[in-house]
Amino acid sequence: MARVADTARGVAAEIMVDGERVSFHPGETIAAAMLAAGHAAFRRDRHDRPRGLWCNMGTCCECLVLIERDGEARRVRACLVDAAPGQCVTTRDGAA
Amino acid sequence: MDAADVLIIGGGLIGCAAAWHLARAGTDVLLVERGELNAGASGQNAGSLHFQIERRFLEHGEALADQAARTVALSRLAIAEWRDLPAALGDDRLDVAMQGGLMVAQSDDEVRLLERKAALEARWGLPTELIDGAQARAIAPYLADDVRAASFLADEGHANPRLVTRALADAAASAGARLRPRTALRALVPAPGGWRATLRRGTADVEVAAAAVLIAAGAWTMAVGALAGVHLPVFPIGLQMNVTERVAPFLPHLVQHVGRRLSMKQAHDGNVLIGGGWPSRLARGEGGFDLARAPMVLPDSLTGNLAVAAATVPRVGALNLIRTWTGVVAITADQLPLAGAVPGRPGLFVIAGGSGFTLGPTLARVVSAEMLGRSAGDAAAAMALVAPARFAHLNAMLA
Amino acid sequence: MSEPCYDLAIVGGGPAGQAAAEQAVAAGLTVVMLDEQARMGGQILRQPPLGMTVPRWLDGRGYRALKRQLARAEALPGLTWSGRTSVAGVLREAAGFALIAVPTDGAPGRRIAARRLLVAAGCYDLPVPLPGWTLPGVMSAGAIQAFVKSQRLVPGERFVLAGTHPLQLILADQIVAAGGEVAALLFAQAPAAAAGALAHHAGSALRHAGPLAAAAASYVRLRRAGVPIRFGRTVLAVEGSDEVVAARVGVPGEAGEVIACDRVGLCFGFLPQADLPRSLGATARWVERTGGWATVADAWQRGDVPGLYVAGETTGVAGAPAALEEGRIAGIAVARDAGRIDAAAAERAVAEPRRRLARLRGFAALLDAVADPRAVVTRLASDDTIVCRCEDVTRAQLLAAAGGVAAPSDASALKLVTRAGMGLCQGRGCEAAVLRLLAERTGVAPAAIGGFTPRFPVRPVPIASVGGADCH
Repeated sequence: MARVADTARGVAAEIMVDGERVSFHPGETIAAAMLAAGHAAFRRDRHDRPRGLWCNMGTCCECLVLIERDGEARRVRACLVDAAPGQCVTTRDGAA
Repeated sequence: MDAADVLIIGGGLIGCAAAWHLARAGTDVLLVERGELNAGASGQNAGSLHFQIERRFLEHGEALADQAARTVALSRLAIAEWRDLPAALGDDRLDVAMQGGLMVAQSDDEVRLLERKAALEARWGLPTELIDGAQARAIAPYLADDVRAASFLADEGHANPRLVTRALADAAASAGARLRPRTALRALVPAPGGWRATLRRGTADVEVAAAAVLIAAGAWTMAVGALAGVHLPVFPIGLQMNVTERVAPFLPHLVQHVGRRLSMKQAHDGNVLIGGGWPSRLARGEGGFDLARAPMVLPDSLTGNLAVAAATVPRVGALNLIRTWTGVVAITADQLPLAGAVPGRPGLFVIAGGSGFTLGPTLARVVSAEMLGRSAGDAAAAMALVAPARFAHLNAMLA
Repeated sequence: MSEPCYDLAIVGGGPAGQAAAEQAVAAGLTVVMLDEQARMGGQILRQPPLGMTVPRWLDGRGYRALKRQLARAEALPGLTWSGRTSVAGVLREAAGFALIAVPTDGAPGRRIAARRLLVAAGCYDLPVPLPGWTLPGVMSAGAIQAFVKSQRLVPGERFVLAGTHPLQLILADQIVAAGGEVAALLFAQAPAAAAGALAHHAGSALRHAGPLAAAAASYVRLRRAGVPIRFGRTVLAVEGSDEVVAARVGVPGEAGEVIACDRVGLCFGFLPQADLPRSLGATARWVERTGGWATVADAWQRGDVPGLYVAGETTGVAGAPAALEEGRIAGIAVARDAGRIDAAAAERAVAEPRRRLARLRGFAALLDAVADPRAVVTRLASDDTIVCRCEDVTRAQLLAAAGGVAAPSDASALKLVTRAGMGLCQGRGCEAAVLRLLAERTGVAPAAIGGFTPRFPVRPVPIASVGGADCH
């Protein structure tokens, strides 16, 4: 997992993923920030096995996470939503 | 020429349940279904087991509400039926959950409507409990802060429409009933000793003689009745329903709304089902409604239903909608079920109309008993209310 | 704040949508374009975020014409761009279409009215069920490529790529150029099969030396970089408990060898994104090689639903240059049908795009033949392999349900019994595999069986966002 060195990025900030700090650069999706930090699991399946992102284009819905911002909770696809300062991401809430 | 004691038209919940009851009583049953088993309203409905008087009966004046209240006797039977069904079928996969249901009110008018409803229910012996908003939230902490009152009925709940009909079909087949999906009824005429039907399977026509026929064809009841030369006044209605992604259990009850169209529960798999009688648009064909095509989703029903859901149980607002589907149900002119012998047509029986999932297993059992010449027992009074005899005037002049 | 009823709504900001928008705006029509990505471009030109500066971004020759087109489309005056927006579904209304549009971050949605609709929604990677493919770290080729192209992230350290599609040569090349390691690049087809397909289409291959040259150049660079490229081999299983740690690689039916890696990319072809036209009742055609449903279009890119147009991979996967031509034709057709240009002018305008399109489709047919995944994709799943990722339905469960008394004979009935296809993705992930399995079981061709009944919404959207999507 490496950010490609030739690219100029803005100043890094942080989101929380399952209670851990994860750093991101402006414009990165939640999925990119998580993978860059080594978080490959985005949810647990019905048998509590970890699942990863598959398509990275909004089609497979494997990367659905819970985000909370300003008291509003939403389940969104991590590959489509930008990381933003103050965002809390939970990967385990969801599948029964 | 094939033969059967009973020919059942329709492979939904009611048809399969009747096939089970009749077959295990030793009757030779042939069930035909034009499409797949459980493909109509039986599989399309949202699986509510609702026994409180429905909102639809309360919004059209006292007479209708009173009449509906008299069917409470059927609801009481249905409660026992659903409690016993998994054991009777020897099947614990039906996802039957009866942990209570709340019908909520959010405005003054709605609170008054709820009180009127509870009084009716009390008169006919349904143990509904009227509680205030705080009491409701004590039972159901997920309810919105502005819920002012609720009526609670401990027996309400839900079951899985995907599984119930399948289990009934399996039980019927084990008891010896012959189930024939993808077999269409082409003709149904009286014959000496009963009825003669022409069935089409693939490209071949088959004749079947049956002593008795049960029409359990849902929205197609009127069309099947026409084949038999009888008016069965059951009208198709397009509804739409919604379901969220699976989430951990948080909503153990059936939630309904007395003033707005809402019915909500969390299924065994974790999905939250949201409906409540919101219309979809029936497809139109050359001769009228085209029931072969799925009704269209209406945008106002979609946004309206989901807005009510999120206003009543705020937590569902965060969950993803994953499917909205439409289905066709059948209701009679007076909104009560149509179940029993068809007058003037010996050997012809029908079960259709209104609350088919909740009441279906009960109606199928009682009408099967009637077909076997047995007494309806404590269901007799309620069955008189829903008997086809009340529409006999429509058929008095039909040859 | 009231949003007008648009003359045309375009779903998809890729080459097809851009080209159509250019034509429609030029004809004086009001146009809104919706896409889930923040910026226009589609998957082929998935742009880096505005906050990143990338030197020499996608500077290969094959991207040049597409980049010129993108620059023109982004500068179009009068085109309403609605990025980061999911089209949950399109419903029919008296005046045309109602689009339920919801921001990807779950903010309140809106209802957009449009007289005409162009669906140019692109394609997605063919999901290939094989043991271990649900482990974190197994991704589609498109997923990995989008991270490299757009997010400028190499989403792993050591990759094994497997498939039948030549795109994986270009992907491997991009991974290596970005600093990643490709431990193995596997083509399931035997070299003889690929060569045979090329020979069979030899005329076409010669005419399309350009696009093939890009793949050939990648091949040479990868060889030079020491990347092992092997034919007649594929990933048989992926191993690991929390994440990928290795791929078992070899010939189907044999034990294979284990290669350590932390990422596996699968590249067996692409399926049309056609949920919206299907949900509107447009006729679709089963794609034999990859599976999936391509929307049927007439010579003006019209679907057989009034007011509906389709262009690009939604009509069958033929590559970005073909998509661009189809989009151009669709835009001209919309202008014509809206009475903005006359029939003769429209005929003149589409003549050249149609000529180019015919040539490009020839190349697509060649690529399809070379990349044909059928011989391998049905042989990889074992009984306990998950076919429906959303609902955890295995191949064995599907086989059992399809074999019972009064067993379901169509995909929707099987879905009701097993839950396969009932999950978040609406069946996009498993439909092709489920249909193949049913076909195997019943002896009826997938096209005759029919797919899952398409349902609203085509993307998951929060309840509160849809509930808030009343008319403004």
